[in-house]
Amino acid sequence: MKKLEIYEPAMCCSTGVCGVDVDPVLVQFVADLQWLTEQGVVVARHNLSQEPQAFASNPDVVKEMEAGMDRLPVIVVDGHVVSTGVYLYRDQLATKLGLDENQANPKPHIKITESGCCKPSSGCC
Amino acid sequence: MGLPKVDTRYLFFTGKGGVGKTSLSCATGIALAESGKRVLIVSTDPASNLDEVLGSTLSAIPSPIPEVPGLYALNIDPEASAHAYRERMVSPYRGILPPAAIASMEEQFSGACTVEIAAFDEFSALLGDPDKTQDFDHVIFDTAPTGHTLRLLSLPSAWNGFIESSTGGASCLGPLAGLEKQRSLYAATVAQLADAQKTTVVLVSRPETSALREAERTSGELAELGIANQILAINGLFQAKPGNDAIADAMTRRAKEALESMPEKLTSLPRYDTPFVALGMVGIAALRSLIEPNVHTTPVSQSVANSPKLPTFNSLVNDLEKGGYGVIMTMGKGGVGKTTVAAAIAVALAQRGHPVLLSTTDPAAHVAVTIESPIHGLTVSRIDPAVEVERYRQDILEKTGKNLDANALAMLEEDLRSPCTEEIAVFRAFAKTVDEGKAAFVVLDTAPTGHTILLLDAAEAYHREVMRVQGDMPESVRQLLPRLRDPAYTRVIITTLAEATPVHEAERLQQDLARAGIKPYAWVINQSLLASGTRDPLLSERGRYEIPFIRKVAEELSARCALIPWLAEPPIGARGLARITDPAA
Repeated sequence: MKKLEIYEPAMCCSTGVCGVDVDPVLVQFVADLQWLTEQGVVVARHNLSQEPQAFASNPDVVKEMEAGMDRLPVIVVDGHVVSTGVYLYRDQLATKLGLDENQANPKPHIKITESGCCKPSSGCC
Repeated sequence: MGLPKVDTRYLFFTGKGGVGKTSLSCATGIALAESGKRVLIVSTDPASNLDEVLGSTLSAIPSPIPEVPGLYALNIDPEASAHAYRERMVSPYRGILPPAAIASMEEQFSGACTVEIAAFDEFSALLGDPDKTQDFDHVIFDTAPTGHTLRLLSLPSAWNGFIESSTGGASCLGPLAGLEKQRSLYAATVAQLADAQKTTVVLVSRPETSALREAERTSGELAELGIANQILAINGLFQAKPGNDAIADAMTRRAKEALESMPEKLTSLPRYDTPFVALGMVGIAALRSLIEPNVHTTPVSQSVANSPKLPTFNSLVNDLEKGGYGVIMTMGKGGVGKTTVAAAIAVALAQRGHPVLLSTTDPAAHVAVTIESPIHGLTVSRIDPAVEVERYRQDILEKTGKNLDANALAMLEEDLRSPCTEEIAVFRAFAKTVDEGKAAFVVLDTAPTGHTILLLDAAEAYHREVMRVQGDMPESVRQLLPRLRDPAYTRVIITTLAEATPVHEAERLQQDLARAGIKPYAWVINQSLLASGTRDPLLSERGRYEIPFIRKVAEELSARCALIPWLAEPPIGARGLARITDPAA
């Protein structure tokens, strides 16, 4: 079974609704992950502020963070880093996981800015 | 007359700021301790003055009050709790994760909800776990101002639903995930609160219409949360023989009328009245006088010669008028009359021919009631949290909702139900109102102190964020903090009463503002009995008690200040408010 891990910047909610503005990329990402789960992929999302232990115990992720916090999110497939600094879209995730692309409904790819969700200083948490 | 009689183990005092929650909870605690019980008094108010009232230095663990055997007290400082919580979460990773990651984690734990939740966490430890307080027969909570208290109380039920329905990790309680483990403790806390055998809620009110209305609102909201064992305490009831003094007659009449027209829901509650006292309720001796009120036979003496001469409110309005535009914000602890002062300024400026917008963020807004008839040039608006949240929700759903599939939309809707959505929504509305000040006068009466500070704190956070990421940010938000700091744009009027606690609170507020780089323009001392012209013995004594506090404000604390007398006619409507500016009107 394929395993997908996402190491995300510190944020308080996965849709970013509590930030200054909602990031639609993140909202869609949540739905894409749900779709992957339905395809039989094991998905684990780690948020720096909630699960620092997951970051600390993965040397590859620590190395990325040392290079710069903008490397988050780090996306890992079966233990290998497949992308940094970007939320992949459904079709890209499907490719990285070796799933049938036709099943995925492609969405336009947008590079998002750092810590899209719940801007850490928004005062919301 | 008498202190609330209670037989439950837990006792809560709630009410509008300044009604005497701390005084009554301490006096009740002293009475219980002196009847042989072991009593613990707990304050969870971020602006607690329990130390001052009991004359002891308190900490987060029960300290004995030396003058009263059997009485203990503790102070929960939610900000310190939040700090401790932050340390607990972050410190294990220092030296393991890169410094930038640590800084980013710390920032997540520095905001408003962390403080709220950390406070509730401490509060639950005492209420949800009876072992913690097993040494005491009674635990008395001197709670925070009403809005804050309700939030504290309503959170756990919100969370209970929230945590259960949360799927896919979508939850604004994210950074506080560690607290989810405490869920059973929170559930136990809610159960204790709703258990009439164990918990009594004392709704504290002054014999004033606005305070009673607030008590009614609280009563209903608590009942909705299943907390039905409520009693009503009317504090500071003044009764003078008629015909001797206009002010004393007006005060007696106003209290009587307020009590007679008391909201219906309150009339069915058991009621206890405590009398008006001349001295501030600070120190054990003063508190004992609430238990056994002395009959005051002090001779009438009008030696007010050493009271400072203060500028009138009218001259303050003159100075404000010279600004020509901008934001005027009245700030202060709840119950000191911020709304009245804001309304009086707005009415006076409008009557001088200036366009004025009067707006309130106070959840217990009485502006609409305070001003009955339309005044030319004056617009009254209200920042209503419920309305703002709905507007924000619609705005977000419209902007981002249409491109989403059903799953993503459900997720977004769920996050929009989260507790911090309100903070954000209200904040945006506040920024927008401040923006209006560039063309005309905008007068804002802000919410009680704690909330106000959170608002400004959020403003600061926004400011920092804007400097870093030039995102899709409304111009009004981008401009907010620089405007609040610009003395030509924003004039903060600190409002207080000539009493120990309100002056102390206002002083702290001024210090908090200084940290945010905001210097108040003026102070207004409201409802002064000294300036009222009363000759009633008890009220005169109270008036003399005001002198050192007026001095302190005029000579130490303020750049300019004005005194508003206690008025025989309540300052309601355009004419009543105009009388504040010009007593002869």
